[in-house]
This record gives sequence, structure tokens and C-alpha cells, in this order.
Amino acid sequence: MLEQLLMAFINGILLGGVLALLAFGLNLIFGVVKIIHMAYGQFVMLGFYFIYYFYTAWHLPLLVAMAGGIIVMGLLGMLVQLLIINPLLDAPRLNQLLALASLIIVLENLAQVVWGADYRGIPISMPIIQFGDIFIRSSYLLAFLGAIATLGILYLFLHKTYFGLAIRSVAQDVEMARGMGINPKVIYYITLAAGGALTGVVAAFFIPIYTVHPHFGASFTLMAFVIVVFGGMGNLLGGFISAFIIGVVTSITAVLASTEVADILALVMFILMMMVRPQGILGAKA
Amino acid sequence: MLNIENISKSFGGVMALHDVSFKIEEGSFVGLIGPNGSGKTTMFNVISGALKPTHGQVAYEGKTISGQTPNAICHAGIARTFQIPQPIKSLTVAENVMLGVLFGRGGKRKYQEDRIKNDAIKMLDFVGLSLDPDSYPEKMTAGDLRKLELARALATQPKILLADEVLSGLNKDELKEASEILIKTRDELGVTIIWVEHIMHVLMKLVERVIVLNHGLLIADGDPDSVSNDKQVVEAYLGVE
Repeated sequence: MLEQLLMAFINGILLGGVLALLAFGLNLIFGVVKIIHMAYGQFVMLGFYFIYYFYTAWHLPLLVAMAGGIIVMGLLGMLVQLLIINPLLDAPRLNQLLALASLIIVLENLAQVVWGADYRGIPISMPIIQFGDIFIRSSYLLAFLGAIATLGILYLFLHKTYFGLAIRSVAQDVEMARGMGINPKVIYYITLAAGGALTGVVAAFFIPIYTVHPHFGASFTLMAFVIVVFGGMGNLLGGFISAFIIGVVTSITAVLASTEVADILALVMFILMMMVRPQGILGAKA
Repeated sequence: MLNIENISKSFGGVMALHDVSFKIEEGSFVGLIGPNGSGKTTMFNVISGALKPTHGQVAYEGKTISGQTPNAICHAGIARTFQIPQPIKSLTVAENVMLGVLFGRGGKRKYQEDRIKNDAIKMLDFVGLSLDPDSYPEKMTAGDLRKLELARALATQPKILLADEVLSGLNKDELKEASEILIKTRDELGVTIIWVEHIMHVLMKLVERVIVLNHGLLIADGDPDSVSNDKQVVEAYLGVE
């Protein structure tokens, strides 16, 4: 039993890393553009399909197919900015939310028309690593390490590049950033491109773990949203911490009870947080 | 250099500015004064592009700039400081100023970080801010915040500086220092300054010309002596009996 719990804990940490990456993208977009990308999980689903398509239809090497998927998702992120977010920048928040929520329906049905409702995946067998009585799937470990490395790159991007500096300033005070000569629209495009590319990266790490279907993204949209709000909207560190909390709690609950109970518990924790501390772990008070 | 032509700005039914016109010559140091709610900050918002005028236009170096975005106007060479200094708290003092160096007029995105940071530190030296440039602007004093605000605006290499109440909240020594920085800005950097200020005795000693607004109307425009003896101006400040 103890080994099982320990394994669940480790799996939770590994899962938390990927969730942290997913939540980071949603959080970044909210922090900078002040908009909730409701179809973020569906973007992961699309990224998965594109990689699958490039690999099976174009017979590209897997890594090239993954790179292609990441680039396409970055471009799609910019397209969302151009077609949906830009026209609604000054619209009431509800309109923005509805427009992006309706994107969920558009993307899911589009995927169904193009790729059908069947489960699709790229069969890759990756070894299971054993440490004493503990077994770890190397696909999970790879996803975790990759996610942490990607987060590191993002950190450097935000802190060591000029666009990172501009992104951070727009996130904090868009009027002030304008006054310093920064064009927020350019920054929004870069942010949506980065957020889109991130869904491609997450999809690439999911390839050896999951198979994809048109409704694959729904649970990830919910999960990312829960994590971001739990950690404090727009607070990148808060999202990072809460991704691991949610990852570990759901993973351990899945072992003690079942995955369904784990999902319920995650949402109950979310609701309790909203009642006790609506701004999340590290969020600023409204 | 800057031509304010028949600017009106209304918010709902309230006229914040009413048919105001004036010209600013290159290299001049002009005070813009008036009682609270007279439209001074609204005028700054119109010039800097934060607000679009309801009527009239702003021409700068012969081109109409009203209606352009604040970032475009910053690129053209007009910078402003804010009444309440609002540095970006998650950026260091140096980074706050680097934003202006990087993205302001003729942004220098090509240079390396050292170069940009050096430019930023030069600006911090210019305004006499002796804090660690890598510290965060959280616990800064009112005086230091004012200096950072000025350094940020000047880092964009403006030709015109719109200085909004750069003296408020300062003690006597800081008042003197801030006034000297403004004079240096005009004389050494060659920046034309339009200055909104409540601390009248300091302003009147420094500027060459004073423009007075009251209830959105321009009621006086001239040298400090004649303006301070103007009947309408005295009434605006003291009220009419």
C-alpha cells in the first residue's frame, strides 16, 4: 500500500509538470490579454491531430511532425487573436467569454468532420522504469522533464528578452506600456502565438501517453481553468504550485478511491477555494 | 512645434475642454495651470493620445497626431509622466527605464542588454536616482518614485515632455532637486517641456510662459508676471465674490 501511495505521489508530480505547462499558457494569455481562452484544451486536441496527421499522412519523422504541430498551433493562436479576440478587445467580458466558448464547439466539430470520431494515436512503446518496488512510465517522466524544461525556456523568454520585458509590462499596466512606446496589439499576437505553440508542445508530450478523439480537449480545458483559478488568475507562480497540488491530490485519490472520485475532489477543492479565498493561492485581492 | 487647435473634449454632457487653442515653440518651458478639474490632465491625455478630442486637432511638427495611439505618439517624440507614479512593480528599476530605451522613439532593439541597461542607468544618473538599478520599485520614497517616473519618460528620447505634477508629495530639498532636473532636461537634453503643477511658487519661478485653464476654457496665456496679475486668473483661484 505504501509503495502504491508513493507511486501515486510520484505520478502526481509527473502529471503536475504537464498540467503546469498547460496552465501556464492559459495564465499567460489571461495575464497579458486579460481574456480567458476557453478553448485551450481543444487547442491541445487540435495539436495532437496535426502531429498525428503530419506523421501518418505525410510520413514525416515523428520529431518533425511534432515541430510542425507546434508551429501550426502557434499560427492558429495568432489567428484566434486576429479573428476573435481583436474585434472583442473592448467588448463586455461576457461577450469575449461566449465567443471563445463557442470556439470549443467549432473546433470539436471541425475535428470530427476532418478526422472522424474514432480514437487515433501513434503507437509508441516506451519502457517502464523500475526503482526497487516503484515503477515509473518513462513516457510520463519524459513529459514531466520536457514540461519543466519548456517552463524554464519560457521563464528565460519572459525575463531575458526584450519581448519578454514588454510582455511583462503589458501584463501589469497596458496604459503605461503604451506610454513607453509599446504596441499592445503586437504583444497580444506574440502572447497568443506562444500560448498556441505551448498547446502543441503539450500535445507532443501526450502522444506516447494518450489517444485522441474530438472531445479529448474538454477535460484539459476544465483542468487548466481549475488550476489557473486555484493558483490565482494571471499569477504564473500560483498556477505552477496549484498544478502540482491538483496533480498529486487527484493521483493519490485515484489510487485510494477511483479516477471519478479524484475528478470530483479536484472540483470540490476548487469550489472550497472560491468560497474561502476567491483570489486563489497567490492571486491579488480584487 | 506643437499646435493645439480648437480642442474640445466632453465626457457625456460635461465639457472638460472647450475650444482650447495654443502653440508651443520648440525649446520652450511652459506651465499649464488651473484649479482642480480645469482640464489640465485631460489636455495631457488628448496630446498623448490616451483620449481622442471631441472636436479640434493636435498638430505636431506639421502633422496631425490626434487620433493616433499613445505608442505611436511616443514614437513620434512626446512622452509624459503620470500624476501618480506607476512604475511596473514586477520589473526592476533599470528594467522600467529600459522599456523606454527599447521601445520609445527610435527603439534600440538591436543592441545588447548591456548597452540598453547602460543607457537606462545613464538616465537614472541624469535624474539623480542613486538606488540599486536591480532593485524593485516597491519600497521607494515619493521623491525617488518621481525621479524614476521622469527617467522612464526621458528614456523614450522625447522632443516634448508632458510633466504632470512632478513636485507633489516632495519635501523642500526634493522640490529644489526636482526643479533642477527639469531645467537640466530642457537645457542639456533640449527637451521642450509642458508642465502641469499645483505648487505655484516653484512653477512661476521656472517657466517662461504660463497657460491657465479654468472649467475647460483657456483664460490666460502669457509670462508668469502678467498672468499672476490677471484679474480672471486671480478670480479663478480665489473665487468671485
